[in-house]
Amino acid sequence: MEKEKIQELRQLVKSRLNRPMRYYLDVCTRCGLCYDTCHAYYGIPKKEYSPVNRAEVVRKVYKKYFRPSGFAFPYWGDATKLDERVMDELKEAAFSCTGCRRCMMFCPFGVDMPHILSIAKLLLIGYGNAPEELIMLADSAVEKGKSIDSFKEGYREVIRDLETQVQERLKLPSSEDLIPMEKQNADVLYVGLSGAHSIVHPAVIFNAAKENWTLSYFEAVNFGMFAGDPEKMQFIANRIVKEATSLNVKEVVIVECGTAYRIPKFLLGPLPFKVTSIVEKIYRYIKDGKISIREGAIADALTYHDPCQLGRNGGVYDEPRYVLGALAKDYREMSPTREYNWCCGGGGGLVALDNEDFRVKTGKAKKDQITATGAKIVVSACENCILQLNTIKNGYGLDVEVKSLTELVSENLIV
Amino acid sequence: MWDTLYYFIMVPMVYIAFATLVLGLLFKFAVVFFSPGIKGTLGTYPRRLPRMLGIIKDAFAVPTAFNKTKVFWFFIVVYHVAFVLLFIGHLELIREFKVLQIIPHRVFLGAGWVGIALIVSVLYFLFRRFRSPHNAISVPEDYLLLILLFLTLFFGSHMNLASRHLDFQFDLAKSREYLSALFTFKPANPSDIVSPYHNVMLALHVLFANLFMMLFPFSKMVHSVFAFCSLNLKRK
Repeated sequence: MEKEKIQELRQLVKSRLNRPMRYYLDVCTRCGLCYDTCHAYYGIPKKEYSPVNRAEVVRKVYKKYFRPSGFAFPYWGDATKLDERVMDELKEAAFSCTGCRRCMMFCPFGVDMPHILSIAKLLLIGYGNAPEELIMLADSAVEKGKSIDSFKEGYREVIRDLETQVQERLKLPSSEDLIPMEKQNADVLYVGLSGAHSIVHPAVIFNAAKENWTLSYFEAVNFGMFAGDPEKMQFIANRIVKEATSLNVKEVVIVECGTAYRIPKFLLGPLPFKVTSIVEKIYRYIKDGKISIREGAIADALTYHDPCQLGRNGGVYDEPRYVLGALAKDYREMSPTREYNWCCGGGGGLVALDNEDFRVKTGKAKKDQITATGAKIVVSACENCILQLNTIKNGYGLDVEVKSLTELVSENLIV
Repeated sequence: MWDTLYYFIMVPMVYIAFATLVLGLLFKFAVVFFSPGIKGTLGTYPRRLPRMLGIIKDAFAVPTAFNKTKVFWFFIVVYHVAFVLLFIGHLELIREFKVLQIIPHRVFLGAGWVGIALIVSVLYFLFRRFRSPHNAISVPEDYLLLILLFLTLFFGSHMNLASRHLDFQFDLAKSREYLSALFTFKPANPSDIVSPYHNVMLALHVLFANLFMMLFPFSKMVHSVFAFCSLNLKRK
């Protein structure tokens, strides 16, 4: 690799050396407690898929360029120069990790491996080796943010079609304003995804709850985060922040999408509105008696897959269980569950990549968990998880139905 | 020649080692302090305990290791408890601390068992690294630090045990005179702490301890300081 390129990449690493990163790069003792805690390693037991090894690929580069010992005695810490081979290793490390942070639960120092891998992702962008799909999707989201006015009319047309579906579902005389947009001073700004299901089902629930709400023009998903580009991540997230601020809403409710929830809730710092997941919102509606669901309506055995960004990284454990406990006659918990639940293998933008074989293999842990419950319905509350659970279902020929929690509530709503 | 070398290890090198340890840690803290923070939070859930209690539990009880592998957890706890006891023992080599003599004992605490426990733990950590999969994730630093620690402990423990059970003369008063003088920057002659025949053993113990202190801020040993910071982030 040319000296200038190395210098450029070195600056990128430097830009990510924030305080937490310094701790994480320094404290690891390579004790190996996290070694087999990744779903990817469970499915493909190779050192490359162990969390500690992924972090070490980055750490060795860091040592080489930022530690005197790495410069003077590279042998001491196995410090590694940036070259083609290392870039390949960084790519394998960064894009085999879903960012689920299960490994963190087993680390005695709480090292955040995905945080370390953000260096790898940034280096890949700088080297021009990042997955094109994610870069294109992030660019497209950025472009939409820059020229939202040219998208608005077309989007309103689509939404008008969806309003008729909501009308039919709620058996209302008119479809007018069932999915309000640009509503000033609404209590809730709902941010969906590009799929109709991510708007229709929540719209049914919001209307049933008589919520004072409005729909965002933007998709909640943040491909800037998945690609590992901090500037694009910030821009994509800020589109929603600006929209919420200009509409003066009290609360932003995020669609079933783990990362889309985690970014505004935990990564942007203080915001002038509350951030909630649609799952928490549904739970509150039921608790407050604003909506009613058919209790015990689902007779088949049902299990719940905790989306990592919602559960382990968001603390939303009890709300979906409360809702599903009411809906299902036979609710079965996965083992291990909650913070130790296995990742499905679809997060971190991996479902957007051309890697289905890999995802089937790395979904083995989840497949084994689902099979062990004997459940016929697998519910989750994250779009990526739903897509990946279907990949696992098809890949292993599982006789299960995969459903989203919002969809299930919408279908079993008493209207 | 030997006298010069002995004096260098026992006096100037101890100062160099302490200075490297202190300045190295200060440098590390400065680097961290001047690094930008982050806007959000990197915590995980659930959080069953208040933050401080949780950090203390995570750091000292190491539940992550307990849940994963009990043998490893056992040696982690033994090692760290013994290390603290050993540190206290070395404080008593500088001067007498009445508070430490609530239960009257001969210096060091533990009648030699503390050193043995540490050596066994270090050997466990070392040999564990030769096994798969730990050999695949280990780097030379991991082995070299453990070997250095083993050598330091081996000579230190040997002197302690020999002074208790064999005809090995260790003069506690001379030791206190030597170490107190070091602390007041008026170094005394370190030649009579042990019998002249055993000076080599003492010099080797101090040499390896010096090297360990010098490496401390620039190796993974800083986990003993920064672990609290990273565990705080997990619960913040």
